[in-house]
Amino acid sequence: MDFSFTPEQEMLRKTAREFAEKEIAPKVNKMDETGKVPMDLVKRMGELGFGGLLIPKEYGGTGVGHLARIMILEEIGRVSAAMANTLQIHHLGESPIIYFGTDEQKKRWLPSMASGKKIGALALTEPVGGSDVMGIQTVAKKEGEAYVINGRKCFITNSHISDVCGVIAKTGEKELTCFIVEKDTPGFTPGREEDKFGLRGCNTGEIVLENCKVPAENMIGKPGDGLKIALSCIGNVGRPGVGAAALGIVHRCLEEAVKYANQRTLYGKPIADIQAIQWLIADIYMDYEVSRWTAYYAAWLRDKGVRCDAENSLAKFWSTDSAVRCAQKLIDIFGAYGVLKEYVPQRLLRDAWPLVSAAGTLEIMKIVMVRDVLRKYA
Amino acid sequence: MNSLNVIVCIKQVPDPQQLSKITLDPIRKTIRREDVPAVINPLDKHALEEGLRIRDEYGGRVTVVSMGPPQAELACREALAMGADEAILLCDRAFAGADTLSTSYSLSLAIKRIEGFNMILCGNETVDGSTGQVPPQLADFLNIPHVTRARRIEFTKEKTARVERSIEYGYMVVEVTLPAIIAVTKEINVPRIPTVSGILEAHQREVKVWAPKDIEAEEERIGLAGSPTQVVDIFSPEIGRKGEILRGEPEEVAKLLVQRLHELGVI
Amino acid sequence: MIEEFKGVWIFAEQRKGKLLDVSLELLGGGRELANKLGVDLSAILFGHDVSKLAKELIAYGADNIYLISHPLLEFYQSDAYAKVMTDLVNQHKPEILLVGATAIGMDLAPRVAVKLETGLSAHVVKLEIDEKRQLRQIMPGFGGKVMAVVVCPNRRPQMTTVRPGVFRKPARDESRRGDIVKVEVDITEDDLRARTIRMVEEKPREKPLEGAEIVVAGGWGMRAVGGFKPVRELAELLGASVGGTRPALDEGWIVEEQMIGQSGKTVRPKLYIGLGISGEMHHTVGILDSEVIVAVNNDENAPIFQVADVGIVGDLRDVLPHLLKEFERTR
Repeated sequence: MDFSFTPEQEMLRKTAREFAEKEIAPKVNKMDETGKVPMDLVKRMGELGFGGLLIPKEYGGTGVGHLARIMILEEIGRVSAAMANTLQIHHLGESPIIYFGTDEQKKRWLPSMASGKKIGALALTEPVGGSDVMGIQTVAKKEGEAYVINGRKCFITNSHISDVCGVIAKTGEKELTCFIVEKDTPGFTPGREEDKFGLRGCNTGEIVLENCKVPAENMIGKPGDGLKIALSCIGNVGRPGVGAAALGIVHRCLEEAVKYANQRTLYGKPIADIQAIQWLIADIYMDYEVSRWTAYYAAWLRDKGVRCDAENSLAKFWSTDSAVRCAQKLIDIFGAYGVLKEYVPQRLLRDAWPLVSAAGTLEIMKIVMVRDVLRKYA
Repeated sequence: MNSLNVIVCIKQVPDPQQLSKITLDPIRKTIRREDVPAVINPLDKHALEEGLRIRDEYGGRVTVVSMGPPQAELACREALAMGADEAILLCDRAFAGADTLSTSYSLSLAIKRIEGFNMILCGNETVDGSTGQVPPQLADFLNIPHVTRARRIEFTKEKTARVERSIEYGYMVVEVTLPAIIAVTKEINVPRIPTVSGILEAHQREVKVWAPKDIEAEEERIGLAGSPTQVVDIFSPEIGRKGEILRGEPEEVAKLLVQRLHELGVI
Repeated sequence: MIEEFKGVWIFAEQRKGKLLDVSLELLGGGRELANKLGVDLSAILFGHDVSKLAKELIAYGADNIYLISHPLLEFYQSDAYAKVMTDLVNQHKPEILLVGATAIGMDLAPRVAVKLETGLSAHVVKLEIDEKRQLRQIMPGFGGKVMAVVVCPNRRPQMTTVRPGVFRKPARDESRRGDIVKVEVDITEDDLRARTIRMVEEKPREKPLEGAEIVVAGGWGMRAVGGFKPVRELAELLGASVGGTRPALDEGWIVEEQMIGQSGKTVRPKLYIGLGISGEMHHTVGILDSEVIVAVNNDENAPIFQVADVGIVGDLRDVLPHLLKEFERTR
């Protein structure tokens, strides 16, 4: 079993790290303060090619695959989970088109999304509850060669910055359908923008659809494919993406913990010599290693075309759960300094928490895992 | 202004941000670099960036030349990822242990085999030896002029570059006929970050590896054999962090401190 | 063959009609080497209308001056200087050639070394003569982590560039006598492939902390001298970036981008000087990768002295004026 990465993957990781440290890091504090998305950085990520990682070459992307994608997201997340989540939702917005679109649809939207000229999003969640997918109320009624959509989506990442948005709507009693709606389509309006306590700089908000007329060519797949498309894209792209952002946080927690413990002295010696601190660091290390290898493994399976819903859910569960836990422990290691806004640990905790329920709560992750387990181990 | 073919010399060095991890083997008197990741010498990246900008503006080719152990291939690969058209690595045991004279000799032989170059760009110095000697020495082996410490390069007329070279408390303006070697400082530009497609393409291409026979090098002039200077000893400087406290009359201690800093070579 | 080479030579650098201090320092160090070897100390001087500088060099200890005076050589011209120096060395065969490690010296010496097919070591901090009459050249490497000792056993002259401040300027003796040899050169503008057109002085701009080679930082203790002015003055003298601690930020002496420490910037300069800084960990974590850490504080128990390489325990009001004067003098 060869656990090493290819030279391309190593260089991609290194480049993502260089970009994150040189260009994102100086803007992190401002992002956290204002909550505004730094569109110049979003543009830069497009220029570097981070927008097209899953898009095949013939549609303007680089098709480097899932493992390379989460390595890049991890490096970005290590500096800013908000930027990582913004990027990964862009990939999620592309995925209905990539995996279920016609050649014509791919040609229409993917090249400009690969370059980052157009930003993607996927609008599924509604006030009825994200976990209750079939309970959504947004309706799409056929009218001639178009569909008219009415409804309200909430907690949508990139709601206010997306140019190409996948919308899941009911076209029948238990029939969900996926439509691509472009920005500035009459009747498609970003609504309230949420003010989160963490992951600030990543835009989360409402989308209001009021008699929004969408041509039939914008339907992905057939009527009724919407559930399959939503679950597949969220499960294979959105979930690992959230997990990778959280993995970046866990990675950062480990680095900050070691750095601080080696420098801070108490009773005349570095606190790294104190066993209680060592145990906290050991805990963070274990969480980091488990998070990363479950994440890389699931991505590796996906790149091989193997179905890996349980593995994806496990990886996302572990890294998001760890991120909160490790950030708490990091704050403990920092002592009173941990709760000061000018130090990093508190931001890592605040950034970690919103990721826990994104792309599926911990409980939903367990449900997905058990479904597979009951089948496999029957 | 016609297109310009640029050669950029790069060196793989220990990551300057992690130099504190370098240790000395006190018995074998060698430097242990294994724990320190290797990178393209930072100033060489600026040189490469300048070469790429020149090519982007005027057309031409950027060829990267390096001399180093097998792992220096990674540095060459990164240069390709940034956009260089070709990379050549001089790699052989016989090249090892070279001082700057021997290095410049070897590089000059490699460069002589590259047709039609208009200029050579280098970083002004490396982070390991920091001598800054290779650019002028390489220039002399190639019998072309050189300008060091360049912070700005312009092309005012055909076959001439106007260079702003930084000196203590100011700068000099130097007009140099091409072909020439120009060694750059970090003020000159901000090196680009490779794109994803640049990285993928770079791994599809070949880094040419040349041995002494490929450049018709005379054995006695390369590597350790070709180095007039030899390192006979290395040691850790006696700088303990629990350092020296200077006490005494203000005038005295001030003089002592400044002298100590000169001795340590930091000012 | 090696035995044929005798004499210690220095390259005397002048700019705008003034000798650089480093050239005089080379005469100081060169004299010691020459005495040990029992040979003459000579200097090469280029310029235009600089004969009075030649007399200065003798007053500072040179026995012979090779004076090359030509209007085209008023400024440093690499091709001409290198060629003439090479010809002189080939003619007179000195065993040692010292060049100041300045922007010009470091540009000139390497080219000459190739023409002479000899070895050149860079920015040495110490020179010794060993029992074989060889020059032992000691210099820092890897960002100062390591010191190396270099010799050049088989070629002559042994060339090296020497950092300013390593040697001491000798005493000036008006009564000293020496030989001035006027060297005729035939140069036209076409010979100068890299031609210096002009030299411009610049006032240094406020440098950022990122990538700074030298950092001067101030803390709470600067209250005693009324504020940050001395920090800025010293920084300007040294071409350094200005930094500070959180108290300095709170006082309004620095802006956020200049704060160094746990919640500020990390710096990795060759030299960090902390003035009036107590050295709490939240600041010092930002400076620990500095090559050399210097501290001035009036409290000898201040934690900064635990991480400093060299420190002065003293009152800033007394020490600072002298420090500024001394840095100015030796620059």
